Amino acid sequence: MFLQVFYANVALVMILIGFYCIASKRNLLKIVIGIEMITIGVNLNILAMGLMENSVEPLAQEMAIVSIAIGAAVAAVSLSILINVYRHYKTLDTRKLRRLRW
Amino acid sequence: MNPMLPLLTLLGGSVATPLVGMFSRKIRFEKIRDAWAILAFLVTTCYFSYLIYSGKLPLYYAVKLEPSWASIEIRIDSFSAYMSLIFSFLGLMVSIYSVGYMSGETGLDEYYALLLTLVAGMIGVTMANDLFTLYVFWELMCISSYTLVSFRKHRWEAVEAGFKYLVMSTIGSLIALYSISLLYGIAGTLNFSELSQIISSGAESISTSTLYFIIAMIIAGFGVTAAIVPFHTWLPDAHPAAPSSISAMLSGVVIKTGAYVIFRSLYAVFFPTEFLYGHILILFGLLTMSVANIMVILQKDIKRFLAYSSIANMGYIILGLGVSTYIAHFYPSDIAAVSLALLGSLFHVLNHAVGKGLLFLGAGCFIKQAKTRNIAKLEGIGRKMPVSAVSFSVGLLNLAGVPPMSGFWSKFFIIIAMLSHPKDTLLHTSTIVFVVNILVAAGYYLWLLQRITLRKPGEQLSKIREVSPSMVIPVAILACICILLTLFIAPVLDLISGPVEALIGYLHKPEAIGGV
Repeated sequence: MFLQVFYANVALVMILIGFYCIASKRNLLKIVIGIEMITIGVNLNILAMGLMENSVEPLAQEMAIVSIAIGAAVAAVSLSILINVYRHYKTLDTRKLRRLRW
Repeated sequence: MNPMLPLLTLLGGSVATPLVGMFSRKIRFEKIRDAWAILAFLVTTCYFSYLIYSGKLPLYYAVKLEPSWASIEIRIDSFSAYMSLIFSFLGLMVSIYSVGYMSGETGLDEYYALLLTLVAGMIGVTMANDLFTLYVFWELMCISSYTLVSFRKHRWEAVEAGFKYLVMSTIGSLIALYSISLLYGIAGTLNFSELSQIISSGAESISTSTLYFIIAMIIAGFGVTAAIVPFHTWLPDAHPAAPSSISAMLSGVVIKTGAYVIFRSLYAVFFPTEFLYGHILILFGLLTMSVANIMVILQKDIKRFLAYSSIANMGYIILGLGVSTYIAHFYPSDIAAVSLALLGSLFHVLNHAVGKGLLFLGAGCFIKQAKTRNIAKLEGIGRKMPVSAVSFSVGLLNLAGVPPMSGFWSKFFIIIAMLSHPKDTLLHTSTIVFVVNILVAAGYYLWLLQRITLRKPGEQLSKIREVSPSMVIPVAILACICILLTLFIAPVLDLISGPVEALIGYLHKPEAIGGV
């Protein structure tokens, strides 16, 4: 029980760090890193929720593995778009690419 | 019939598309690849039409594995069949349209493969019977749509809008996954029927505040894709940047998938009779439509104009859901009003999917010929392109809610449901805001109609002719469907009463929903 709470809190802290990273950093690569931090935190939370005495429930393991694979796909797509951003602007600074209005 | 058939058709078709493309280049007849995608969508559309027609719903299918925890469950009830029919039909129209519209582009193998996976993801979301399967298909849909938005990667706009969409939508999905993991920690299962039993059993160990936290995260997480207002900012950038065919898919059906997940998870897991979130949804719906309707008026770009009006229409759908859950919570005996609000909301899903798909495809025809998206420069283009312009006008009239058209009836049902309890202050005031919004929306749709079709065309438009038949045909078909929905409104409402009953059914006999 102690371990479960511990891991869940670590996961929450990682998610919050990821949000902070996305909100404060000006570099697109760091924003992608922030998204990956959130992904890792959520995966850790899934495992924490499935924690038993001295193992993890199989369903939680299955979910975490599938979620890691999805996270890798998202990372691949985001990095490939990022390369195209760099080709257009020769920079990854978000302040330089604000041609779109909200 | 095997419920996996549509998924296998679309995913298998998607995997085989590059091979078909290679083959078609070898024999120098590249339209085979386009025909391949159209065929896959046609099979799926026919499958779902047959399923609804035959009435053998719900279909239930489980991939049973040993050990039992690994099984995947697919369940098609009338709500999923209804939504899937809309998705695959619009996919069919868009793939026919793409034959003409995308003909000058490169990378079409990837385009059709991603279009197929996009629709496969959406259909999978509607079929999933547990939250994690739903999430996997959800991400399949999202990843395909990020790539399709930034498909024209040689333009700065597409790349930038695609990145913005990716960041916002991924954060939304991850918030939703976090709430799913918390739900798993509480209940130990993610199956809809088992979850609802465990949650409604009212066990001491489950704190109500945690459940409300999870509801809030589900609404916020999936609401990013549904473009509820504080989370809508990706949409007006992503829609204009994508090719027009993809804008039609995004606006017509992808954002509806977000609404579908909110509908399904709220009704199937968190019963509105036990949890109170209706008033929050009503406020979100009103905020969404008000902000979007004000923003529409400021737009000069025709696709941004249509994108903001999509947000406003999502506001109507969310409002209908909110009204139904609100009435179900406070007046549980008044099933008629609950089902009327749901009926209006789901009918508006159909109207908006057909209407906005038509408008984006029609706008794509104009943009392809005039090479501009500025409304002032497109003035009077309708006189040069009569078929597209007449279809476009039908779509505008439908969404404006001009009384005989079906777009009027869907909003009217929601208003009647809202007026069913005259002493309720919240419902009363929100009706006023809703009606004002509808009138503003009707005003700007008719303004666009007047500018596009009635003005005299300018000098720069003198050489414009009608687009190729493969682009005109889907636009004309969608316009015919708008008119048919109006003429045959009674059978259509019969069709929609199936999904409404499926959702209402969750409220009354949760134990009967489970198994087969």
